[in-house]
Amino acid sequence: MVPRVAAAMWRFGIAEAVAYRASMFVWVLATCFPLVSLALWSYLAEEGPIGGYDRGGFVTYFVAAFLIRQLTSAWVCWDLTRQIRLGELDALLLRPAHPVLHHMMSNFAALPMRAFMALPLGVGVLIFAGGGDPVAWGDVLRTLPTLALAWGIVFSIQLAVACLAFWLTSATSLYEAWLAVHLVLSGYLLPTSLFPERFAEVIRVLPFHAALGFPVEVLTGRLTHGAYVEGIGLQCFWVACFSVLAAFSWRRGLTRYGSVGA
Amino acid sequence: MSAGERRVGAIRVAAAQFRVCVLRALQYRMQFWTEGVLGVAWSLMGIAPLLVAMQYRSEVAGWGVGGLLVLTGVFTIMSGIYGAMVQPALAESMAHIRRGSLDYLLLRPVDAMVSCVTAMYSPWRLLEVVAGVGLVTVGIHREGVFAWEGLALGVALAFLGVVVLYAMGVLMLAASFRALRLENLTFMLEAMLDFGRWPIGVFRGLLKAFFTFVFPLAVLTTFPAEALLGQSRAGTLGVAVLITLSFMFAARIAWNRGIRHYTSASS
Repeated sequence: MVPRVAAAMWRFGIAEAVAYRASMFVWVLATCFPLVSLALWSYLAEEGPIGGYDRGGFVTYFVAAFLIRQLTSAWVCWDLTRQIRLGELDALLLRPAHPVLHHMMSNFAALPMRAFMALPLGVGVLIFAGGGDPVAWGDVLRTLPTLALAWGIVFSIQLAVACLAFWLTSATSLYEAWLAVHLVLSGYLLPTSLFPERFAEVIRVLPFHAALGFPVEVLTGRLTHGAYVEGIGLQCFWVACFSVLAAFSWRRGLTRYGSVGA
Repeated sequence: MSAGERRVGAIRVAAAQFRVCVLRALQYRMQFWTEGVLGVAWSLMGIAPLLVAMQYRSEVAGWGVGGLLVLTGVFTIMSGIYGAMVQPALAESMAHIRRGSLDYLLLRPVDAMVSCVTAMYSPWRLLEVVAGVGLVTVGIHREGVFAWEGLALGVALAFLGVVVLYAMGVLMLAASFRALRLENLTFMLEAMLDFGRWPIGVFRGLLKAFFTFVFPLAVLTTFPAEALLGQSRAGTLGVAVLITLSFMFAARIAWNRGIRHYTSASS
């Protein structure tokens, strides 16, 4: 039963992504900040490598960061908070499948479309910037599980924050505040290893880095096998933490749901 | 109406709209946090890469720490003005165009373009302007380069930058007469503005020309910041005036063409 329902939701999500392709393309372009960073760091690296990154290294890093950000994106926070506020959640609650499954599949189904739009952009930037360091096929394979876990972190934290909408009216703003911190500490603006050493050690265990910087470093072949296994463990830990948090606030919140809009 | 009277009328319309939006903003005080403080946080996070870069290099394209603070300050001011005045007006007008309720704006005895660019304000985001002025002050103090001429030139160039920002907004608005559902284009423009966080000298060749003339971020941030630091090159003002005038001209032409495509309800 569940797999069939999930498959139907997946097809529905794909159709939705195709229908809103133009607006999705603009969203892809609007999350081009790694390319903004690329301009700065590749300029700085012309005089010599910085913290283990030469010019080609930066090009690969930021193009990878741009692509991985696209492949791990979710927006359940905005959708679910709106549904809770306006009472639209009713329709989902009446269905014979869990509302979270619906959001999971509709967020998940947009990823192929996003990849399809982001890949040519990434390749274009790679060529325009004069090429980057090559990426090994083995590293691409090693990145796949980290991508799934990174998406899990992003989705579960968004879900946990969205459930606060059962109590608060501005839950999305809370997530946007989280996002502002995320951008600085995740490796989105700059590789986290460039921060001063003591500081870098601390932020590299936080969920921000696990959700973006870690997969990027795996893809660009910058981690030893030990660090890879450790990183995956850390990702699992954060997914578990946020999932428990999300499940807890979902259950508590649903009892408060007034259904006619709050 | 004479040209002079019309201009006074436009300013009075803008002031009246702004007053209404301030009153509304004071009603929704929660937005102080959700719009104002968050906006400041988003603008300031961009300073992190510059601070880290300073650990490895003593300057970025000829800009020291103080200079970069001034530049980030100018960027924060521009981003605040965009978020407080340009973006809300664009989003509101685009919604009017989509719904066909632009009719009511067209019927007013003011220039329709003025009505559109003053359609809405988000006053809380002006908090970013305050934060930006603070950063500029700290940066200038650190460099110890304060001069009245520099300040005057910087303010004049920043004003031109705001005009360019509005002109780019009008160009987008004109485009939305043809293609609907372009609200998120305003977010894309905001994302593109981020390139203005770095000194224009960071870009090379084609990109540098692109960010000076086609998408003139240099006019928005680098030029005013240079002037405030007393490092303005001769002719900068001339270039800025020329770019601004051509953008104003292009925006007005595009607007006049775009509005002809407006077919009222359900256009």
